Amino acid sequence: MKDLTNLSLLEQIDGLNSKEFSSVEITSSYIEKIEEQNKILNCFISLNENALEEAKKSDSKIAKNKANTMEGIPIAHKDIFCIKDQKTTCGSKMLENFISPYSSTVYEKLFNSGTVNLGKTNMDEFAMGSSNETSFYGNVLNPIDHERVPGGSSGGSAAAVAARLCSFATGTDTGGSIRQPAAFCGITGIKPTYGRVSRWGMIAFASSLDQGGIFANSALDAAIALENISGFDKKDSTSLNKKVPSFFNEASSTNKDHIVGIPRSIIENIKDSEVKNNFYDSVEILEKSGIKTKEIDLKNIEFSLPVYYVIAPAECSANLSRYDGVRFGHRCENPKNLEDLYARSRAEGFGEEVKKRILIGTYCLSAGYYDAYYIKAQKVRNLIKESFVNAFKEVSSVMMPTTANVSFKQNSIQDPVEMYEQDIYTIPANLAGLPAISIPSGKINNLPLGIQFIGNYLNEGNILNLSNLFQQNTNFHNE
Amino acid sequence: MKISEEVLNNISSLSKIKIDEDIKPKLIEDLESILLMVEKMNKIDTSKIEPMSHPLDEANNLREDIAMHEIKRDNYQKSAPQTEDGFYLTPKVIE
Repeated sequence: MKDLTNLSLLEQIDGLNSKEFSSVEITSSYIEKIEEQNKILNCFISLNENALEEAKKSDSKIAKNKANTMEGIPIAHKDIFCIKDQKTTCGSKMLENFISPYSSTVYEKLFNSGTVNLGKTNMDEFAMGSSNETSFYGNVLNPIDHERVPGGSSGGSAAAVAARLCSFATGTDTGGSIRQPAAFCGITGIKPTYGRVSRWGMIAFASSLDQGGIFANSALDAAIALENISGFDKKDSTSLNKKVPSFFNEASSTNKDHIVGIPRSIIENIKDSEVKNNFYDSVEILEKSGIKTKEIDLKNIEFSLPVYYVIAPAECSANLSRYDGVRFGHRCENPKNLEDLYARSRAEGFGEEVKKRILIGTYCLSAGYYDAYYIKAQKVRNLIKESFVNAFKEVSSVMMPTTANVSFKQNSIQDPVEMYEQDIYTIPANLAGLPAISIPSGKINNLPLGIQFIGNYLNEGNILNLSNLFQQNTNFHNE
Repeated sequence: MKISEEVLNNISSLSKIKIDEDIKPKLIEDLESILLMVEKMNKIDTSKIEPMSHPLDEANNLREDIAMHEIKRDNYQKSAPQTEDGFYLTPKVIE
């Protein structure tokens, strides 16, 4: 019998609906693989004991011709998405015993579209990290090279999809947490327009930047999955009340009406010559397949990292104030008084990186520093957004590398700023709220590399289409 | 920007996170290096620019002002460290 875990999402949907195989069969194949590989990769924090039950229900729906769009497809969720009555840890000791009283909209939507939940994936604590080394539940290993990191913060989801331990997986992207791990693991990862996917039940890190998205094995698979999690949600005050088109139709159309912007100064400044060569090779692949490119200037983009490291910590310091040791989450032993209860519960429950970011954020928001840091960063953020708005008057998307390097060795980066620089190419899209996708673009010394397309607001279909055209002309996503 | 121990103690108190003495020097070093990187943004003149608090221009969606009963107290308190009769328990606040 063929390996069902190697099929694309589209082939799996077709195979299930034509009853070539059942959801129980495909779910069992994934569970078997997870049991064998998760011991090494550590990409799941918890497994769903009811996965096979869910698969049986899907099979009976398919038998009665009552199948939903993705009926019986086994997937994994980043452990940042709350699922009612199930453990949701967000990679933190703080939430080690937290059982969510409600479900996230992303989970609900995927459940309602028929998917089977295999489990919750490992991640950097509270989504703060670029290597999955800050998780309380241990490092995730990159399936391509176990000595190396899978990227972060959604490292578990990226590793699980790359190792074919699920059909696709959910993730979140605040500064690159979907695109950077997708690039490091050689898969496709998309973050839609800010507001496209509901943040309800998705544990908050930096609310003006956080956005849910998808890891998949191709742009077409990502399009199907993304379509199923997008849409207006009245429970999220920043959800966009805009019609969701068929991303699949847009991705698979033969339209070649693209003008891809190449931000000259950014590309010229790529330090790693192999990354730069890979980028130019990718541009050539696009041009050879009939796609127009155009050099553009993206002003002030180099200030994205400084701006991000004010805004994200500032918002995180406010969001994470809810973990007080009183209503839920970790509480210290024998608190002397209320102050001691707060200070020790938070000191014990949070890891070093999270504490560092809360402290930076608190500093930037504190009296005397607010204008110099927070307001200043918000102003520069406006300039960065403006650069993109101007660029989209001339081009339909912007192309950049996803990362400045291939995956690095575990524990090899100790300096915090060096780690933060991992996200220099991914952060701009978050600051502007734009949709962006990373797709595999080749390998350096056997390690995958990605290129990134940033689209205009609500134009996920455009970058999915471009990615699909690239994937039709290359085989990097199948290697 | 240099961070003195006094400033560190202040932000530790504001953020309600106890910081052990032995990690303070390394923490100050890390925070200073992050702020040094952050301060690169001061190179841009932003005197005529409005601050941007949100990526989209749209207003927040507000719900109708109708009472809802979606929250079940018992269900929400299942994850609480200590409760009694529907109340959250903390150490004594008033001596």
